[in-house]
Amino acid sequence: MLSKAFRIFRKDAKIATRDAMLIYIIVIPIILAIGILLFAPGITDSATTVAMLSSDSENYIEYIETYAKVERFSSAEELERRVLKRDDVAAIMQEGDSYRVIVEGNEGPASAAMAKLLNTFYELGATKENSTAEILSFEKTVPPLKTKLVNMLILMIIMLSGMIIALGIVEEKSDNTISAMNVSPASQGAFILGKSLLGGSVALVSIIIALLILGYYDINWLMIILMGLITMILTMVIGFLQGINSSDVIEAAGGVKLVMLPIAASIAGYELLADKWQWTMYWSPFYWSYKANDLILAKNAQWGEILFYSGIILVISLIIYILAMPKIRKGLSNS
Amino acid sequence: MKWLSTYVKEMKIASRGFYFYIEIFVAVIALVILLVAVKENPEGKSVEYLYNDLPSSVKEELLAQDLAEGNIRLREDTELTIRPSSFVLKNKDTGMTESFGLNPEKTVMAQTYQKLNPETGEVLGIVYLLENEEDMIRMSYNTGNIGATTTMDASGNFSYKYVLQGYETARYEEVLYIIHTFANDDIEAIKEQQSTSVIGAAERLNNREAVVPLFIAFSGALMGFFIIMSYVFLDKSQGVIKAFAVTPASVWTYLLTKTLVILTTVIISSSIVVIPIMKLKPNYLLFYVFLAASSFVFSCLGLLVASFFDTISKAFGVLYLIMIGLMLPAFSYYISSFDPLWIRFLPTYPLLEGLKGIMQGQADVSYVLSYTAIFIASGFILLALANFRFKRTLTV
Repeated sequence: MLSKAFRIFRKDAKIATRDAMLIYIIVIPIILAIGILLFAPGITDSATTVAMLSSDSENYIEYIETYAKVERFSSAEELERRVLKRDDVAAIMQEGDSYRVIVEGNEGPASAAMAKLLNTFYELGATKENSTAEILSFEKTVPPLKTKLVNMLILMIIMLSGMIIALGIVEEKSDNTISAMNVSPASQGAFILGKSLLGGSVALVSIIIALLILGYYDINWLMIILMGLITMILTMVIGFLQGINSSDVIEAAGGVKLVMLPIAASIAGYELLADKWQWTMYWSPFYWSYKANDLILAKNAQWGEILFYSGIILVISLIIYILAMPKIRKGLSNS
Repeated sequence: MKWLSTYVKEMKIASRGFYFYIEIFVAVIALVILLVAVKENPEGKSVEYLYNDLPSSVKEELLAQDLAEGNIRLREDTELTIRPSSFVLKNKDTGMTESFGLNPEKTVMAQTYQKLNPETGEVLGIVYLLENEEDMIRMSYNTGNIGATTTMDASGNFSYKYVLQGYETARYEEVLYIIHTFANDDIEAIKEQQSTSVIGAAERLNNREAVVPLFIAFSGALMGFFIIMSYVFLDKSQGVIKAFAVTPASVWTYLLTKTLVILTTVIISSSIVVIPIMKLKPNYLLFYVFLAASSFVFSCLGLLVASFFDTISKAFGVLYLIMIGLMLPAFSYYISSFDPLWIRFLPTYPLLEGLKGIMQGQADVSYVLSYTAIFIASGFILLALANFRFKRTLTV
């Protein structure tokens, strides 16, 4: 059975290379990884931004620039136009011996308060040297937002492999090749395994390449590969179910949208729900996958908990697989 | 009126399909989630771990002062789990390092309180007060949240140690230094001398309402791009496009009716979410005109992309990249400080901006209408190009 599954895998890989599909599946996550690499610093730099007049003293502007991003404008009108834009930017102007802070009125409370504080510290001549504070650092280099984006990317790659399987099955159905398979020596099990291997193995390679591009060299690779493989089992089952149940690409596309719901809900639940409500997400294997990847990427994971989370995903996947198997077999036989 | 009869026929077919109902179902689920799980005004999520190395009397006095000023609200003590970890902590001022070896997992009780905005009572975050400094440092390391120790010398002067992760910006660190330079009274005296001018009064969308423009843009308009491609590939595989060559209807009619089917679906699914959440706040005429124009342009983009491929599998890479690219303005929508110039050229940027203004009930009508015109004009150009491609190839 294994040799037949590998033959189907090799045939699929050859077809995918002709369609440039294989390249897409590998290239897309890499492009996304490069995107995260380029955008993450900009996204995580949440320093306050203030608008100032270029005519203000250079000392004053430079002082403020030490603590906040400064945008310079040549007139009060331009300053006001900047404040009225959609983001939270307060303007500060020197007015005789004092200062005026200009706000739109719908900013967060920190925006105007910070602008006033910076003026105050400038007036007082506050510097790092006369501070009573010290700073200790763990010297971590990866911001949490980057880790979250990478974690989402991993789930997206896994979902992508499920979509590939579903669309592949739908196309096989429209080409009547599944009926042909039924009269070939390959068993249904070999067909399922063979069709899943391409999406699964390519997705795994994509995850590894994406993580290397993003600089996660020193994570526990065994753990991340284990989680990838375990989550992929579930995705393959879901991909197959979608493919078998969809009579055309529209239905497969709709099915993809449905699968996105538990994935998005799992991420949102893990990130947004209070600890006491986390249990409401325990049903979702994507929740456990996201949670485990979060620990692995943050280098906080212990083998015991990763094996535990893998076990939960495996059990849920097996339950879905056992429940879905008659339907998949029936779908394959009737195609 | 061939396009009208074709549209009616296409709508009948779509309403018999599975996809049409998935759109409705997803919209209903989104509505339920927004109404049940998303709070209109959520509490601040910042977390701090503190250790006060102070005499008990001073601790009590500081706590009482903060409570009286409305800066904090006491909560029940929390049981925290300190997970095993080992790391090095570096003092950025002296360059000295301290190693923390692998610890066994343990649980500790932490005094807990909410940080409040004293003026509005809004919850800004949660603070855990730990019994010893090492617990505070380990919690900060494990959770990625800030930690701090407050100490007092024999003369009664306070000093502070902040525990940061290492990826914070230099500006953030500089701010932490200068806020501990002068007495609060001196700071307040100068702060009060400054005047504040408010030059706009646009109301902010609450947390729940803020999700609505994203839902419409990505689940509605942008999905139109994806779905119309699926429709076209389905018709290609069934030979419908070929059949158009021998009917009196033109390819143009076919393409236009496809976009109208998507438009109808998007309008129905968007209305399911918008009306119950936004109620009478938006200008609905402006909303539907803008939604229709944006759905039209994205559908036409889908048609053009579909014209270059013969199966959805082959088109998948391009489809995926375009969708991801068009989703990028969502970062700028949620993270105000991330607003680079290049992101403003993506069509979903003005779409989100326009929808946000409409939802606030204070839309810049000229902005919305000018982008409506740009979307319609671009849509027709894309449709003409798609028509040219389809007519030339018929099957591809």
